[in-house]
Amino acid sequence: MGRKLLFDKAHIEGIRYYDVYRANGGYGSAEKALKSMTPEQVLDEVKKSGLRGRGGAGFPTGMKWSFIAKPEGVPRYLVCNADESEPGTFKDRYLMEFIPHLLIEGLLISSYTLGCNSCYIYIRGEYAWIPDILEQAIAEAKKNGWLGKNIQGTGFDLEIYVQRGAGAYICGEETALIESLEGKRGNPRIKPPFPAVKGLWDCPTVVNNVETLATVVPILRIGGDEYAKYGTGKSTGTKLISACGNINKPGVYEIEMNISVEEFIYSDEYCGGIANGKRLKACIPGGSSVPILPANLLLKTAKGEQRMMTYESLADGGFATGTMLGSGGFIVLDEDQCIVKNTLTFARFYHHESCGQCSPCREGTGWMKRVLHNIEHGKGKMSDIDLLWDIQRKIEGNTICPLGDAAAWPVAAAIRHFRDEFEWHVLHPDEATKRNYGLAHYADPLEIAAPAAV
Amino acid sequence: MPTIYIDNKAFEVKAGKNLLEACLSLGLDLPYFCWHPAMGSVGACRQCAVKVFKDEEDTRGRIVMSCMESVKDGLRLSVNDKTATTFRSQVIEWLMTNHPHDCPVCDEGGCCHLQDVTVMTGHNYRRYEYKKRTYTNQYLGPLVNHEMNRCIQCYRCVRYYRDYAGGKDLNVFSAHNHVYFGREKDGVLQSPFSGNLVEVCPTGVFTDKTLKEHYTRKWDLTNAPAVCQHCSLGCNVIAGERYGQLRNIVNRYNSEVNGYFLCDKGRFGYEFVNSENRVTQPLIRKRQSEAVNRATLMQHMSTLLSGHTLIGIGSPRASLESNYALMDLVGKENFYQGIPDDLVYIEQKIVDILLSGAIHTPSLKEIEQADAVLILGEDIWNTAPVMALAVRQSVMKTAATHTTEQVAIPLWHDMAVRELVQDAKGFLANMTVTASPLDEISASTMRAAPDDLARLGFAIAHILNPSLPEVPDATDAVRTQAMNISRALQQAKHPVIITGTSCWNNALVRAAFDIAAALDLTEKRAGLAFVMQDCNSLGLAMMRSSSFEKAITSAERSSNVTAIILENDLYRSVPAGQADAFFSSCKNVVVLDTLHNRTTERADVLIPAATFAEADGTFVNNEARAQCSSQVFMPANSEVRESFKWLSEIRSLKTTAGNGHEKHPDEILQALESKFPQFKGISRSAPPHDFRFHGARIPRESHRYSGRTAMQANIDVSEPKPLQDDDSPLSYTMEGYRGPAPSPLIPFFWAPGWNSGQSVNKFQLETGGSLKGGEPGVRLAEQTGVTPVFSRDIPDAFTARQDKWLLLPQYHLFGSGELSVYTEGIASQSPAPYISLSRHDAERAGLKEGDIVTVKSDGKAYSLPLSIHGSLPDGIMLVPAGLRGMDSWSWGGWVNISTVKV
Ligand SMILES: Cc1cc2nc3c(=O)[nH]c(=O)nc-3n(C[C@H](O)[C@H](O)[C@H](O)COP(=O)(O)O)c2cc1C
Ligand code: SF4
Ligand code: SF4
Ligand code: SF4
Ligand code: FES
Repeated sequence: MGRKLLFDKAHIEGIRYYDVYRANGGYGSAEKALKSMTPEQVLDEVKKSGLRGRGGAGFPTGMKWSFIAKPEGVPRYLVCNADESEPGTFKDRYLMEFIPHLLIEGLLISSYTLGCNSCYIYIRGEYAWIPDILEQAIAEAKKNGWLGKNIQGTGFDLEIYVQRGAGAYICGEETALIESLEGKRGNPRIKPPFPAVKGLWDCPTVVNNVETLATVVPILRIGGDEYAKYGTGKSTGTKLISACGNINKPGVYEIEMNISVEEFIYSDEYCGGIANGKRLKACIPGGSSVPILPANLLLKTAKGEQRMMTYESLADGGFATGTMLGSGGFIVLDEDQCIVKNTLTFARFYHHESCGQCSPCREGTGWMKRVLHNIEHGKGKMSDIDLLWDIQRKIEGNTICPLGDAAAWPVAAAIRHFRDEFEWHVLHPDEATKRNYGLAHYADPLEIAAPAAV
Repeated sequence: MPTIYIDNKAFEVKAGKNLLEACLSLGLDLPYFCWHPAMGSVGACRQCAVKVFKDEEDTRGRIVMSCMESVKDGLRLSVNDKTATTFRSQVIEWLMTNHPHDCPVCDEGGCCHLQDVTVMTGHNYRRYEYKKRTYTNQYLGPLVNHEMNRCIQCYRCVRYYRDYAGGKDLNVFSAHNHVYFGREKDGVLQSPFSGNLVEVCPTGVFTDKTLKEHYTRKWDLTNAPAVCQHCSLGCNVIAGERYGQLRNIVNRYNSEVNGYFLCDKGRFGYEFVNSENRVTQPLIRKRQSEAVNRATLMQHMSTLLSGHTLIGIGSPRASLESNYALMDLVGKENFYQGIPDDLVYIEQKIVDILLSGAIHTPSLKEIEQADAVLILGEDIWNTAPVMALAVRQSVMKTAATHTTEQVAIPLWHDMAVRELVQDAKGFLANMTVTASPLDEISASTMRAAPDDLARLGFAIAHILNPSLPEVPDATDAVRTQAMNISRALQQAKHPVIITGTSCWNNALVRAAFDIAAALDLTEKRAGLAFVMQDCNSLGLAMMRSSSFEKAITSAERSSNVTAIILENDLYRSVPAGQADAFFSSCKNVVVLDTLHNRTTERADVLIPAATFAEADGTFVNNEARAQCSSQVFMPANSEVRESFKWLSEIRSLKTTAGNGHEKHPDEILQALESKFPQFKGISRSAPPHDFRFHGARIPRESHRYSGRTAMQANIDVSEPKPLQDDDSPLSYTMEGYRGPAPSPLIPFFWAPGWNSGQSVNKFQLETGGSLKGGEPGVRLAEQTGVTPVFSRDIPDAFTARQDKWLLLPQYHLFGSGELSVYTEGIASQSPAPYISLSRHDAERAGLKEGDIVTVKSDGKAYSLPLSIHGSLPDGIMLVPAGLRGMDSWSWGGWVNISTVKV
């Protein structure tokens, strides 16, 4: 069994409620931080832990926190990003639903560290039932002196507010989230200025993912150095992975970042192998935005090394032969799955979720969706594949926020690794409409496909 | 000045600009959509991409948005780089995926920024082969048309409408490539600055509905630089004609005056020129056949001149040339202003202040740049709309400058600046009789009678300069407010005080002067801006003639008076009783005017005058800037002539001498200047009539003007000789000098590759800066450093009287204009006449909303419905001024209510 830091007590009956959580050592880290440590000392532990943001980009959390501006007389805000809308990602939901106090304790410690007296949880609108759970946990924490004024007699004040989003993926992007919190249309801002300097209501603001903030609790419990001993290299600690697709055991797993992808997919502790005795075809290991990899490149890097469930190893080979850990939304495709269809599904999503602010994303995503729709439905042309490639190339890196990239990468990777599947759709229009799955041979080891163009 | 390298060539550019501004200022063609010189950058459209390089060695470079990168010394960029140019054409391809390509039926065609940029980027082949998204259009009122399918989602409209102009009812809805720009539901756009959407929108989404009624392509218009006729600000406009009809008005950039924007009254209020109600034929009344030809008219006029006492009534809406020609005809001592004594008195005060040289009067641009503004009494939203827009910019920009000074964010970075600023605002104190839309951006407001506002002003002046008298019996509230305002004015570097004549109260003008002069003594450059009532109010006032009351007296003294009334409906200018009294003491009444009105009904002789569009003329705006408005077209009807031409011809009847030479307008100005030193320099406000470029004139028509050989074919198949314009260097042709014309003579903005109004970039020294060769117009009043003479004369506090009310006019942006209401879309937004009292006064008098109240003013009784006014101080009766068909009342006087009908 892999070591757990977040879900170690998840199995305990009633852990959702304060009494059980507290009886099992809950709020111990907060007590330690607030009563015996200065904010600087807490920050130090977080830095030592090597914790990287779990929202997708993997930016070192300690470093992010140290950037927050501290002008005199200006409030600072901590915003917990619970917008979790990336297809394939549902780890934060589990955490908030079953161990809400872990998040609240994490928010308390983090707010203390950053010097924030107000903290917002911005939660995805579709998680309709979770705000109630959070509100209840907040009320319990408040009743027991962990929130409100003069927390546990330390003189530190904190209020946590839960704000529901209205169902826009883009509001998970931190600056759009801030706009939305301010009551405006959720359009991303251009950076600089960064939120750490001018964020919510023009005040210094830190935006962190739910998991990131919850992880602060075990870090304080065991210490930053100890935490850093978990995992491998710069991928310290444990990571929540929400696994889905054609596997035997879909679900949310906490893994230590020292296991291989192969182990994660095939071991009974985790995904339990491919469902229905099928073979693995491809996988999108970090949520819909990261590049898809065919089985051969997924399990082994281009250099022939075993691919590990770490930030570095998954990114090995860059976009040509690698991918990203992203938000940990692990989507597995078996041999029957059609890459074109899958790509179309994602393209449709990104088109729908584009905020409509900048031209490449607003217009490019819809166009890609339509081209893919044609190919998928047997109406494609060979030149469409190059057209797709061209459109995504022009979107990537040329938009205001990373949603443009997130829309471009899945298309790029699909063409890069599965170009012949697109070609097959074009060449076999009748079959393409009848047979709703792709070519199966990617399950077998293959030569590394050459990128279509650079 | 930093040096940047564009495609390996070194250029010196201005620091603080972004790369797009730098490139455009250098005259390079770089396409853009979401950036606008008046609104800065948001980096959304991605059209302005260029490549920047780390250093000389860097050959790969990276794509950046030029509108989002600051100029830095030594920076290297490429506009022509292949990746950059392909990317720019890719952006157009994206934008074009959904664009309907309906240019042939689109009103924007031919002056379309999207067309310009599409051609500029070289995108020409469509790879997108799917259905385009479509939208439902909205009814946005009578002035602006909506055709959403053409939208390219540049967000300029909402940024202009909401952020720049403070409108609330236009917004962006929905998401991805279905974002929608419109209102929540169909309805009339609420902002009186909505017409600028027509020019702000780079495509044909928002177009001019009035133009649609008689549509003409930009290239087919005959254009001339003109000056707006609808208020005293003198916004610069371009007016376009075809087939003898005025077709549209667009903004004429003048960085000192209106910048990029007009108000809706100025843009759409031109239809009077085409009105059926125009006076088209000389008339001699009480004859069998009243319509006469020119010779008969002249014969008749010579009988009216000889042996008669002449009285000339001038006009605040007629040009200086015409006013002066009338003065020249009747003699200075017989020339009167045609406005009431009280107003003449206030205007004289203003003229004295301006000409004394003791104070600086700011341009609209300077008002935009003010860092504290005090409005004393004047309802500028209604009387000087574009000034209200400028004040809004001052309030927003002060806050922006303030916050960006603390963080290293350039002012052009609009999105970031707005985030930084949030709700912070610069200082504006709006001290007026009634509420105004400016209140919501004001730090301080006050609702009081004019005298009390003036007392507040004197209290401020006293705090600023304790040697000035203290206001006796000032209330604590006034003291506190005076204290706060004076503190804000003192802290500012460029405070501006605004007042005007619409309260009919001279104490306001004096108080405003004392404040500004007191500030000036503290080593600041304070500005004092006045708002007048009409487009040439100040010009006429500067001629320093007597009031209408004096004209009545002199008419009554003589039994044989021939009055010549120039472009002035006296029933709108003076109380009706006075107008009647005047007419009954005149033997002959000669009226020159453009439209039939109640004064023309009283005329024994009626002479058709040219409107501004058919005339050359000089107007002095509220900042004493003399500006020339050029003739846009010659009326086909030769009986319609500029008043000054008629008047000069009539004058020649008096003198036997003379060589028959018709005076050119510039010659009239020279005569004016030599007679009146206060007009010194005015003849330089535009180049003289014989100005030429190597013998060539400046054509009013574009080189693409079509149909010249055919448009008259129904009359005569041979092409007619082009009309000769002897009065100005502009010609009625397509041929002539096409280089940069002197700014007063720019007939329209066009540059190769830039058919849209955005071509103004090519006429500016730098984007958003001065026109090359300086702004048109000559300022006749400059500060000279003369020691100011303070007024010190403080009025008593206003006390409401028993059963009597102080009568004040309420001006309405839509409705109060004599000429603008000829545009149906403006008339339909005009309020119905009413009488307003405060709630308390109405209750005390036992009156309810809608009760018909009869009031006597100047011997005449008027019955109108009561409208209870929430923000009106007690003791004041407010009546809308100058609505169609309404008399002028004795503003500033006291009235009582005679009867009430429930
Ligand atoms: C389009 C888009 C959607 C995003 N959605 C989420 C989200 O749902 N949850 C999240 O934590 N971060 C999301 N992010 C990342 C955030 O912008 C931000 O980087 C993150 O919240 C930072 O937290 P971390 O440092 O703890 O990872 C999104 C980013 C983009 C561009
Ligand atoms: S990339 Fe897409 S989501 Fe991001 S700002 Fe541009 S249009 Fe909006
Ligand atoms: S309506 Fe016009 S200004 Fe507004 S976003 Fe569309 S194209 Fe731009
Ligand atoms: S503000 Fe006055 S001068 Fe300017 S456009 Fe409006 S009416 Fe004309
Ligand atoms: S003009 Fe630069 S991005 Fe739109």
